[in-house]
Amino acid sequence: MDFTLSPEHVALRRMIREVVENEIAPIAAEIDREHRVPMETMHKLGELGLLGVCFPQKYGGMGAGEMGYAILLEELGRVCASTAACVGAHIGISAMAIHLDGNSEQKEKYLTPLARGEKFGAFGLTESGAGSDAAAVRTRAVREGDSWILDGGKVFITNGGYADIIIVMAATDPSLGARGGITAFIVETDWEGFSVAREEDKMGIRGTSTAELVFEGLRVPQENVLGKVGEGFIPFMKSLDMGRLTLGAACAGGAQASLEECIRWAKTRKQFGRELAHKQSVQWMIANMATEIEALRSMVYRVAWLVDTDQPFGQLAAMCKLYGSEVASRAVDAAVQIHGGLGLTRDYPLERAFRDSRINEIFEGTSEVQRIVIASNLFREHGVRVRP
Amino acid sequence: MKVIVILGQVLDPAGIVVKGKAGRIFVNREKYVLQPADRCALEAALRIEEAEVVALPRGPLPDDDVLRQALATGADRAIYLTGDGFEEADDAATTGVLRAAMERLEGADLVLTGATTLDAGQGQLGPRLAEALGWRQIVGAWQAEVSDGKVQAILRQEDEYVTVETALPAVVTMRPGALKPRYPDGVRLINVYKDVGEIAEALEQWDVTELVDEESLRPLLERRGKDFPPERERGTRADGAPAEMAQTAADALRQRLGM
Repeated sequence: MDFTLSPEHVALRRMIREVVENEIAPIAAEIDREHRVPMETMHKLGELGLLGVCFPQKYGGMGAGEMGYAILLEELGRVCASTAACVGAHIGISAMAIHLDGNSEQKEKYLTPLARGEKFGAFGLTESGAGSDAAAVRTRAVREGDSWILDGGKVFITNGGYADIIIVMAATDPSLGARGGITAFIVETDWEGFSVAREEDKMGIRGTSTAELVFEGLRVPQENVLGKVGEGFIPFMKSLDMGRLTLGAACAGGAQASLEECIRWAKTRKQFGRELAHKQSVQWMIANMATEIEALRSMVYRVAWLVDTDQPFGQLAAMCKLYGSEVASRAVDAAVQIHGGLGLTRDYPLERAFRDSRINEIFEGTSEVQRIVIASNLFREHGVRVRP
Repeated sequence: MKVIVILGQVLDPAGIVVKGKAGRIFVNREKYVLQPADRCALEAALRIEEAEVVALPRGPLPDDDVLRQALATGADRAIYLTGDGFEEADDAATTGVLRAAMERLEGADLVLTGATTLDAGQGQLGPRLAEALGWRQIVGAWQAEVSDGKVQAILRQEDEYVTVETALPAVVTMRPGALKPRYPDGVRLINVYKDVGEIAEALEQWDVTELVDEESLRPLLERRGKDFPPERERGTRADGAPAEMAQTAADALRQRLGM
């Protein structure tokens, strides 16, 4: 058993850390305040090859594997949850879906520009009536000659406002539901019939675009069906599993940032004549935080290793997302407590971190859904099929 | 044209604490980074159009990490120098090794390296090498550009910046912080650290004992012990109204300047 990071991943982390400190940390508070997507950051990450971190070099990627991707998200999560979410949606569920299930023409045409950061991606599943219940998708796709006509809409689509390529899940046979009735389509957003209806004004991750999308008679050619007709649910579940892992990584980064803030603060802030570092109540909070972060990080790297060595990882990825989001929330909550009133001010990054961390327990499968997934897997091993 | 960059590494200052009273440097995280001035030299080299950039180490290195970094960032070739007797080499011994290595590389047009090291504050390697090669040198440049067989550099003298120029071949040493260094390229980085693809072949390892004899590896420098500089005198604190504080400061300055 070997827990050391490979030399390429050590070097990759050093590179990412530097990019993050120089290019992202200085604008993290501003993009939150201005409610804007950091396009300059996205382009920079693309130029450096980081938006293709886990994809094969053949398709414009870096070839650093899932471990490389986890490191990227961990480092991004450490300074800017918004950027981490933009990158996560782009790589983790959009480009990843094409990487996992696209044919070579689709990879050439769509994965390559996504990996190089020349185009940006999003993944459209959620609808007003379908979220956790993913099989309840109402967007319809009807076959017409060599193409499909899409009608319907999506909500809460991360990157939806500026993406060039969106993977859209639509019902091709509503009577079949998740088993054979849902198909994934690769949609280019400059096609006629596609429009962005509105963007959400959110409490956290304000530097992301969360859009409502509308499809009206949107014509998608047959060659843009991702995977097989009626089997859209399979690539979706696979890329979602991957997304869960890296969400856990971003949470590890976010929690680490909270911990670092607390240590810095506890070293200087004095109460009753001594620095907070000497107060047992503060020590305990910090010790708990650090322990949970280490446990989470071990989980993240283990899942990444499972992915990179082609082993089943779904169960552990769900645990990683569930545990990660809760660790991050607990860490930032304790960090605000340690900082007292200052934790609520915009002079410190904790106020933003506090708002940003809430979404982690919701998107890419709520904590409740993760628990259902974990429990169903456990019961299935014992011969019981759990129904949601 | 061929450009040689000489690169060294230093303990990451973020991972150490210097405690003068204890007479020790506490290493909290043992992490090495590229010498900041050498990194500027690498950047200056990579900015020269159509140059073949070859990276060499600034003396004995525990591993080839800085050379891999150079390749990841855009250098065309890197040579890791090791060998018996090289571990103790100082700048004088290293100069001889580098000169011999450059001979084996069939010469070069320009050598770029840092003007100073972050840890020991050493700036002699560049000038020593220039003397050994019989080349012209520019020391402590803020910028270095090549055109028409000449190198132009910007130096700071007293309160002004001046441009100086010399014909190639030459040695130029760069100030730390002179240029904003670029980031490594993602694909090159992964391949060079994974030892795959063309770039992995760009890293070679040479044995210094094949380049120079044992005698020339003997260091001139002898370490007799270590000491910290004496603690600095504390300043005086001015209190009171702004006018009083200004007066105290003015008096102190007058005294200091002997006015």
